[in-house]
Amino acid sequence: MNYLQKQFDALLKYWPNEDQALRDVRLKSFDQFKTLGFPTKKWEEWQFTDFSAIEKTDYRLSWASDLPQIPDQIPGQIEDCHTVFIINGHYQPPLSDIPDGVTVVTGLDHFRSNPELYAINGSKNPFLALNTSMMNSGVHVLIKPNTLIEKPIQLIYFTTEFSDPLMNHPRFVFHIGKNAQANIIEHYLGVSTLSYFVNSVTQVILDENARLFHVRIQEEAATGSHTASTHYEVKSNAQLNVTSITSGTQLFRHDIQLNLQGKGAEAILNGLSLTDNSQHQDQHVVVNHENDACQSHQLFKYILADKSSGVFNGKVVVHKHTKQTDANQSNKNLLLSSTALMNANPQLEIYSEDVKCAHGSTTGQIDPEELFYLRSRGIDLKKASELIIGGFAKDILDSIKNENVKSYLNNKITNWLESVLNDG
Amino acid sequence: MLKIKNLYAGIDGKEILKGINLTIQPGELHAIMGRNGSGKSTLANVITGRDNYEVMKGSILFNSIDLLGMSPEDRALSGIFMSFQYPVVIPGVNNTYFLRAALNAKLKHQGMKEINAADFLRLIREKLKLVKMDEKYLNRGVNDGLSGGEKKHNEILQMLTLEPALSILDETDSGLDIDALKIIANGINNFRNNDRSFLAITHYPRLLEYMKPDFIHVLIDGEFVKSGDASLAFELEEKGYSWLEA
Repeated sequence: MNYLQKQFDALLKYWPNEDQALRDVRLKSFDQFKTLGFPTKKWEEWQFTDFSAIEKTDYRLSWASDLPQIPDQIPGQIEDCHTVFIINGHYQPPLSDIPDGVTVVTGLDHFRSNPELYAINGSKNPFLALNTSMMNSGVHVLIKPNTLIEKPIQLIYFTTEFSDPLMNHPRFVFHIGKNAQANIIEHYLGVSTLSYFVNSVTQVILDENARLFHVRIQEEAATGSHTASTHYEVKSNAQLNVTSITSGTQLFRHDIQLNLQGKGAEAILNGLSLTDNSQHQDQHVVVNHENDACQSHQLFKYILADKSSGVFNGKVVVHKHTKQTDANQSNKNLLLSSTALMNANPQLEIYSEDVKCAHGSTTGQIDPEELFYLRSRGIDLKKASELIIGGFAKDILDSIKNENVKSYLNNKITNWLESVLNDG
Repeated sequence: MLKIKNLYAGIDGKEILKGINLTIQPGELHAIMGRNGSGKSTLANVITGRDNYEVMKGSILFNSIDLLGMSPEDRALSGIFMSFQYPVVIPGVNNTYFLRAALNAKLKHQGMKEINAADFLRLIREKLKLVKMDEKYLNRGVNDGLSGGEKKHNEILQMLTLEPALSILDETDSGLDIDALKIIANGINNFRNNDRSFLAITHYPRLLEYMKPDFIHVLIDGEFVKSGDASLAFELEEKGYSWLEA
């Protein structure tokens, strides 16, 4: 905790001329963080995850001086995308390619002019409070109303090698204007061999009738810790399509809140977690049906190898007086070893009558009948396992329309599987 | 081709097969008939190497190679195929991809060049016609969304594609209507030649009307109680199994 106070003081000193309204947001949030503290095993919503590694490591904020020489090859680039590069927390406009109809403003500039957008009120999530107090990175992306952006916009958030433990608190806003349509890839990557900490918050707003494909890829280095909150607001008749693939870090915690605010708002939320060694991934999803005729379809899958562990906590809340709700939530987990561990807790809270809801969760190992069937056709054990596990993961990518994005993720899953099956 | 000698085998410590002797020569079709629970499927599972089955005594030689102790995939690569009584559904694994992987495993084992996607598609389209299957099945998951009868067609499609030396047909006729049965029997009959052998397991003589066996063996309580030629099937149809029981 001490290092955070020191870093917070340094941040205030670094930007002495910050607007008072923004200052107030930071101070208030930091107070809130101090009041809450780091989550402990006694907090029901946080009980399966141990944050002491983040608490104990003496991270420091990344400053402009930490911007390295830009590597020739930045990994993770997906073919035929508009790319926005953020390296060690610093946005790189000269490298980036912003299409017409889109405005990208650095977070720092946007915080100053719109502090009210970033204020958090009464959240019980200490990492959200910490991010709001320290937000030092990120961009605000606006897709102008009535604009169709054909090619995906890929934001690459890349952490390079450095000499001491670094942290960043990026804050992103993706605002999709009325009738606009876009495809945004929020992509976290790291290569550092030293411990680092990324604590991101992403706010996504879909105005009336907007359509967004949001792909979130978390492939931080194994030395990293990544905590994240993603908050979606979906207005009437807007359609949100989310695919979240996470394979990196030692410790990952992601809180997703989806608010279907407008009548006829629809969302698909698909997630795939890939863990091995002693990785731990914890995802909490809350979907709020706040209006009539809204639909939400969730599918979260985990594939866990070695001694890794996963947590899935999904809650669908159907608010009072809403009509024609259609909500379903499914969680399926595949354990590849007897030492892997999964905690799953799907929940429904329904305060309305006119509702079609379904939820369920299953955890199991590879079906020996499926394995025998493939092997009886001459396919060896490793290839048969690869086919079955790959087949299990496949439908997570079904709602991605862009072929380049899909093939990047397919390759990623195949490579992960090969490395896990070769180790075994 | 296949030589089973004094085979005792079972599952979970329970002895099911009690001294099976069977020799199948190239080009022969043998049928094993018997009631449910007589050990027919156990024999098929022991030959193909399914986990959990244990052999207590005896031997199985395939082209003079000892099968016991070999993995299921190595048995398949040496030329053994089983059409499953209950084909397994594997959603998410594309049927075409799976079949090509299986064929390529075989080609690789034989030291031959693997088949590319385009050539494989040409090949599989020809095979589909032989069992009158629709091309739409190619893009589905393995057996995903197929009816019981369609799954059996898919098993025979795999047999025709992989061209095994020994095909074990485990209750391939069950769940088929008469038209489907004719199509499947026809597919199998056209596939028969002087080198390929078959072991058909069934408790109805019906399949054998369309696919003439060289030998029929009656299995009761883990033992062959009677062996004969094709006429034994008709005798069984008339009299049932009870006259053979001790």
